[in-house]
Amino acid sequence: MIQANQQLDAKGLACPMPIVKTKKAMNDIDEGHVLEVQATDKGSTADLQAWATTVGHQYLGTVEEGEVLYHYIRKGSDEPEVEKSFEHTVSLETIESREGLILDVREAAEYAFGHIEGAKSIPMGELEFRLEELDKEEEILVICRTGKRSDLAAQLLAKKGFKKVYNVLPGMNEWNGKKTKTL
Amino acid sequence: MSEKVAIIAANGGMFDAYKVFNIATAAAASEKEVQIFFTFEGLNLIHKQGMHHLEMPAGKEHFAEGFEKANIPSIPELVEMAKELGVKFIACQMTMDVMGLTKEDFVDGIEVGGAVTFLEFAKDAAPTLTF
Repeated sequence: MIQANQQLDAKGLACPMPIVKTKKAMNDIDEGHVLEVQATDKGSTADLQAWATTVGHQYLGTVEEGEVLYHYIRKGSDEPEVEKSFEHTVSLETIESREGLILDVREAAEYAFGHIEGAKSIPMGELEFRLEELDKEEEILVICRTGKRSDLAAQLLAKKGFKKVYNVLPGMNEWNGKKTKTL
Repeated sequence: MSEKVAIIAANGGMFDAYKVFNIATAAAASEKEVQIFFTFEGLNLIHKQGMHHLEMPAGKEHFAEGFEKANIPSIPELVEMAKELGVKFIACQMTMDVMGLTKEDFVDGIEVGGAVTFLEFAKDAAPTLTF
């Protein structure tokens, strides 16, 4: 079961209803959150992918269970690109040669559809409540999709007394290495 | 990329109605500005009574079962949906005059206009579709 912030039941509905319902549901969730769309319309996979790209959301993937398709879409953000401010960074290319822990702060559903082998998942929104899962003395390489959330996460960790924190730039959207799925 | 989709509805059968309203609602759900120009038989699709009795093409009546099985929304439902999503309906004044129809014969919220009204909207729309 993949974790999402909100579920939408669009089972039994034919085109264009899954899209129309998804659009409405998306209006009500926060930016960066993930919507799970349950549908039985076989065209919905291609439609939702195209729709998400058109309107600026991030299509994460689809899981098929029996007759039902579970689609995962992360709501896009209108916010302008902010300057990344955490000064300790490492390049994505060097990440595999390092010893430290890779901490993936994307949403659980993004992680599920593809992450670097061995990376630990703690979504940005949960990080401050789950600090005890991390070791303050260990090297921590924080990664997200583009480097924006990981910048904030790295700042948070440094503030909380973690000593060897690095923001990985760029993020998973540029990662061409092997991806592990946990579906 | 154009943010507008312009549609001409010139036919009044049930299949025509689905083509028009499916594309229109899908486009509106994709955050496009959508206008439909209803002309000649197309006016049937938004006629208060007519929209409830749209006909299938001759010989294709057996598809009625398929529509039901696939749980396809009814045309009045799609019209409501389209309106809710902000699709703008324009009824052709000239056709209305010819057929002796007034604005009150149609679903609420439509506008009445001439060809130029639509052309003005459609000049920078992509795609423009005709059904």
